[in-house]
Amino acid sequence: MNKNPNNYCPKILATILMVTFVAVMYVNQQALIYQMGLKVKQNNDVYAKLVDHNKILVYNVLNLRSPVALERRLLAKEVELSMPSKWQVVKIDHSPKKLVLNYKNLAKKSPLANLFVSGR
Amino acid sequence: MYKGTPSRIRKVLYTLIIAFVLLCVRLVFVQLGAARSLSNIASNQYRLLVPLLPKRGVIYDRNLKELAININLVSIFAEPFKVKDKGIDSQKLASILGLSQDEIYKKLNQKRGFVWLGRKVSQDTARVIRALNIKGIDFIKEPHRAYPNGVIASHILGFTDIDNNGLEGLELKFDKYLKGVIGYRYAIRDAKQREVPGYEYKEIQPIDGDNLVLTIDSLIQSFAERELENGFKKYHAKGACIIVMDPFTGDILALSNRPNFDPNNAKAEPPDSRRNRAICDFFEPGSSFKIITASSLLEEKAVQPSDKFFCENGEYKWCGHKYHDHKPHGWLEFRDVIKYSSNIGTMKAAQRLGKDRLYKYIKKFGFGEKTGIELPGEVNGITTHPNTWSKLSLCSISMGQEVTVTALQLACAMSTLANGGNLVKPRIVDMIQDCTGNVIQKFEPKKPQRVISEETAREMRTILRSVVDSGTAKLAEVEGYFPAGKTGTAQKVESNGTYSHSKFTASFIGFVPSDNPKFVIVVIMDEPRPIYYGGVVCAPVFKKVAAELMSYYKIWPKDKKVAEKNNKKPAS
Repeated sequence: MNKNPNNYCPKILATILMVTFVAVMYVNQQALIYQMGLKVKQNNDVYAKLVDHNKILVYNVLNLRSPVALERRLLAKEVELSMPSKWQVVKIDHSPKKLVLNYKNLAKKSPLANLFVSGR
Repeated sequence: MYKGTPSRIRKVLYTLIIAFVLLCVRLVFVQLGAARSLSNIASNQYRLLVPLLPKRGVIYDRNLKELAININLVSIFAEPFKVKDKGIDSQKLASILGLSQDEIYKKLNQKRGFVWLGRKVSQDTARVIRALNIKGIDFIKEPHRAYPNGVIASHILGFTDIDNNGLEGLELKFDKYLKGVIGYRYAIRDAKQREVPGYEYKEIQPIDGDNLVLTIDSLIQSFAERELENGFKKYHAKGACIIVMDPFTGDILALSNRPNFDPNNAKAEPPDSRRNRAICDFFEPGSSFKIITASSLLEEKAVQPSDKFFCENGEYKWCGHKYHDHKPHGWLEFRDVIKYSSNIGTMKAAQRLGKDRLYKYIKKFGFGEKTGIELPGEVNGITTHPNTWSKLSLCSISMGQEVTVTALQLACAMSTLANGGNLVKPRIVDMIQDCTGNVIQKFEPKKPQRVISEETAREMRTILRSVVDSGTAKLAEVEGYFPAGKTGTAQKVESNGTYSHSKFTASFIGFVPSDNPKFVIVVIMDEPRPIYYGGVVCAPVFKKVAAELMSYYKIWPKDKKVAEKNNKKPAS
């Protein structure tokens, strides 16, 4: 067996380099994890802040919409609201079927109206 | 090998061997004997347990409008050992937090690692303190219960303490559903006790609280409260309550009491104003209880509506006791006895029924028992057994004395007449939903129990309509809607056991419209002054609430003449 110590040197050096490289990579990985975690935390903080802000805004909107608050403001402005009487209510039918029927009726009544209803 | 080696070297060698053996022994002790305790100490040093608070469930009204929500507020704490200039810092903080300097200085001087300076402070306060950048003062977010409608439905909702535990109302009753389950995050901390981000090794997510959907309509609640408040102030009452109920399902659409409180700042009001009088207070109902006597009499066919009773011109002596009517009457038909609320006529009619049968109907109408509403603190009221009644009891009970009831029990009794004779169970919680909106429990209306026949109920509705039309409750009339009801003016009992001549409980219980009842409304005023008649004090509140209810539900008046008068141009 060749017991010349010079033969071991490259192997030892390579091992040391390998170990050092692995160690550095490990430390780098840990640092990256920490940085990533920090970024996630910062983003979460921003998100939480926005959510909190939103909640407070929602609360304020609900507060403003609350019947008590509305009533108070109307009273301050001397606006007295009441339900409309029956004769003041006009019901408008929004159903598309009715609209189509109306167009057809219109077309029947006036030939000129065809100009406006064609293609509908 | 050691031959010829100097003794000094040998000594060093032996010493090293001994040291090595000792180290090995120590190692064995550390690894085997003390491993667990030492690893615990180590893990406590670098591990961090972060509690993850669940969101408290939201409370909605029947139209899913939020009545109670959560917002996050900032709490301020100090780590006293880190605060350097305690004198100056306490002075700065005192002016912002609105506390005395001494108080803050005492807190900062404590030998503790953590002390609260202010919990759930406003955002502005937190911003100002943050700007001071005082070392050792830190901030933490805490969920806070908020009630966007303020005083509206405060007695129903209740409130929570600083740690979000329910203390009153539904917040207390459904606390276990609303509060959810706390979660935890196991993380690693650095030397400065800060959480190291990205090194969480275990996380148990919190489970958010369940949401409650109520039968309350916040709009009905608001105008019922407004009208009650007006009446309460106008007649300087000591207390008041109003209940609006669906007589067929038992749904409570509105329930309010006076005095009341703002659940956002519940501690600002005395405990008395936080009491839910509608279910926690019992009182002698007086004449409004005559609906029970009259229903029993008609159901048992002990009287006919046209039977005549002599009302002794307002004064009647019975068993050595004098009874009075508030107005003298001669001969009255039974229907008019109720219409004019004659005590003498009622007690004479009650004699035909007898105490056992009257008691049977009192129990059947649900008096003396809790209604079972999902609110804390409900009381039974007092109804004694006929065995314990005196000679006067039958007369007294028939006109609403010697018996105590709650406003909610009266609402249920009136619902029985309004819906055709069935006693309904009131309910205020419609369902419980989990945080994703799935229904986990639905509170269906319970099966009603028949108390009186349809025919008796119809007859009673006619009689009660006449009370409003031309009897004691003319002020409850809502033109075009034909409401029906019964007034009550009960003397309160003084501390010496006698009936007071200056303290009264005024009440009006009614429903609208009388031909097709949609709503039962109960209005009670405790010690109104200077006028104390139920027909004067409570009936106008009923009228206004009933009119608004009709408008809100788009129920048009039926009488053509009234429509003409109201609408000027009635629709054909």
